[in-house]
Amino acid sequence: MSQRILVVDDEAHIVQVLSLKLRNAGYTVEMATDGEEALELALKARPDLVITDFQMPYMTGLELCRALATEESTAEVPVIILTARGYALEPEDLEIGNIRDVLSKPFSPRAIVELVQRTLAETASGPGHSQFRSEVA
Amino acid sequence: MQAGKIASLTLGAVMAGASATLWSVAPHIPWLHQQQPLLRAGVLFGATVVVFAFILLPFGALIDASVAKLQRYIEGAASNDQVPIFGLGVRLMRPITRAFTGAVDQFRQREQALRNQLGDLEIRHRVSEAERRQIEAVLHAQRDAVIVTDAFHEIVMANQAAAQILGFDLASAIHQSIDAVIADDRLRQLIRDARDTGNFSVCRHVEHCLTVKDHDGDQAESRVYDVTLTCVENHKHEVGAVVTILHDLTREREISQMKSDFVSKASHELRTPLSSIRAYVEMLVDGEATDERGRQEFYRVIQDETERLGRLIDNMLNISRIEAGIVQIEREHVDMKAVIHRAVQTLEPQARDKDVSINVRLASVDLTVEGDSDMLYQVVLNLVSNAVKYTPEGGRVTVGADSDNLTRSVVVSIADTGLGIPPDSLTKIFEKFYRIENYKRVAKGTGLGLSLCKHIVETVHHGQIGVESKLGMGSKFWFAIPMRYAGSRAAA
Repeated sequence: MSQRILVVDDEAHIVQVLSLKLRNAGYTVEMATDGEEALELALKARPDLVITDFQMPYMTGLELCRALATEESTAEVPVIILTARGYALEPEDLEIGNIRDVLSKPFSPRAIVELVQRTLAETASGPGHSQFRSEVA
Repeated sequence: MQAGKIASLTLGAVMAGASATLWSVAPHIPWLHQQQPLLRAGVLFGATVVVFAFILLPFGALIDASVAKLQRYIEGAASNDQVPIFGLGVRLMRPITRAFTGAVDQFRQREQALRNQLGDLEIRHRVSEAERRQIEAVLHAQRDAVIVTDAFHEIVMANQAAAQILGFDLASAIHQSIDAVIADDRLRQLIRDARDTGNFSVCRHVEHCLTVKDHDGDQAESRVYDVTLTCVENHKHEVGAVVTILHDLTREREISQMKSDFVSKASHELRTPLSSIRAYVEMLVDGEATDERGRQEFYRVIQDETERLGRLIDNMLNISRIEAGIVQIEREHVDMKAVIHRAVQTLEPQARDKDVSINVRLASVDLTVEGDSDMLYQVVLNLVSNAVKYTPEGGRVTVGADSDNLTRSVVVSIADTGLGIPPDSLTKIFEKFYRIENYKRVAKGTGLGLSLCKHIVETVHHGQIGVESKLGMGSKFWFAIPMRYAGSRAAA
C-alpha cells in the first residue's frame, strides 16, 4: 500500500498541483484547504506525512502542527511547511510538533517530491528531527 | 623769533631806556641838588615808578584786550563759530590761538571719528537686532526642540517646541538652571556631559525616549527623539554654550515600519500567484500532464495567475503613485450613468455564470461629475465585481446612483445580498492587503482593490467612500464624487 500524504493550502491551485505531482510519484494524496479540515482528515486516517501552508484561514499551519502533536495518533507524523513569508517563522516556532522542513514559496514540485521521499526514508529509519533547511531566514 | 619774546625784549628795552634817561637827566636838575640825599633817592625812585607805571599801564590794557579777544575766540570755537582776531595784540596772541586752533581741530577730528564709529555701531546694532529676530523666528518655527545653555547650565535660549516637548513655561525658563526647568534626568546629564567633554568638532547624536504630553496637556505618550548636542566655542576657546536639539523620530519610525509591512505583505501577495505559475510550468516541463485536457488546464492556471500577478502589480503601482502625488489625471466631465452601465456590462457574463442578477437604478437627473473617467470606471468595476464575487448563487446586486444637492455630489451605491462583513473588519476593509481571512476561499483578490478605490475617490477626487454591512445580511458600499472639482489639477 502506498504512503499517504496530506496536502493543505488555501490556494486550490497549489493543492491540485502538489497532489498531481505526488500521485504521479506513487503516493496516495489527501487534500484540504484549511487547517481544521486537515486535522479532521488526519484524525480519521493517519497520514505518513503532512505538507501544509503556513498562512491559512481558521487555523494556521503552525496551529495545525501543534494540534497534530497533541493527538497520540498523529504526534509522530512529520510535517513540511510551505510559506510565502519565511521570516515570519521564528526559530522557536520550528520546535512546535514534528516540523521537518520549511520551504519558501515559490517552490519546485520536483524538489517537494525529493524532500518527501527523503523525509519518509528518515522517518522509516528512525524518528527524530532532521536539520532544518536554510530557507528559514 | 617768537612774538612773546619780542614783546618782552621791547618792553625791557623801553623800561631800561626810560630808567637810563631819568637817571642821566636827574643830576642836571638844580632842585634835586638842593634836597637831602635820602629825599633825592626817594624822588628818583618815585619818578622811576611813575615812568614804569606809564609804560606798563597801556601794556596791561593791551594784554587785557588780548585775553578778552582770546576768550571770545575760545567761546566761539566751543560754539563752532569762527571769531576773527585782529587789532593790537594779534601777533602776541597768535601762538596761543594757533596752538588752540590746532587742539580744537584735533578734537573736532576725534569727534568726527567717534561720530562715524557711533553711526557704524548703530547700523551694526540694527543689523544684528534684525538678525536676532530672524534667528528667533527660525527657532520658533522649528518643530525640533532647541535649547541653548551657557557655561553655568542656565538656559539662554529655547523655542516653543522645546517648551511643549519638555513641558516648561518658555517666558520664565530663560536664565534659569536646567535643573529647575528640565525634568528629564538623562537629558540634563547629556547636556552636562556635552559641556564637560568640550569637543567642538563633533556633534553628538543620542537616541532618547521621552514621555510627552499633547498640546492640551491631557494625554502623555512616549516618543523617540534624536538628541543632537553641539558645543559652541567662546572667545577664550572654551565651551561657551551647548546647543541641544531634539528631533522627533517617532513618525519616521512609524513610516519606516509601514513601508516594511507593505513590502512584507506585497512580497507575500506576489509570491502566491508566482508559486502557482512556477509549479505549473515545472509540471509542464516534466511532462506531468498525461493528456491534452490536463495540459490545457495547466495553461489556464498559468494564464489566470499571470493575470492576477499583473493586476496586483498594477494596483500596487497605482496606489503608490496616488500616495506619492505623481499620478497624472485627465479631469473631464464624466457621466456616471455611462460609467456604471459600462462596468455592469463588463461584469454581466461573470454574474450570469453565478446566477447573480445585477439591477441598475439610476435617478433621472444629471449625474455628471468632474473627474478622471478611467479611474471612476475602475472604482465602479471593483465594487460591483466584489459584490458579484461575495454574493452566493441566486443573489442580487443593486447598483444605484443619485445626486446629493446638499453636498453637491453624485452618490453611487452598490448593494448585495452576499455574506456581509464582520463588524471588526468594517474599519479595516479599505487598508492595503487587508483580507477577511474566512472569505479568502470564496474569491481570489489582490487585497488592494478597496484600498485603490479609497485612494481614487478620496485622494484624487476629494470625495468620500464608505460601507454599511451586517454579517449574513449583505453589504452596501457607497461613494460620493463632487460634481465640481475644487482644487489643483494634480492629485494631492
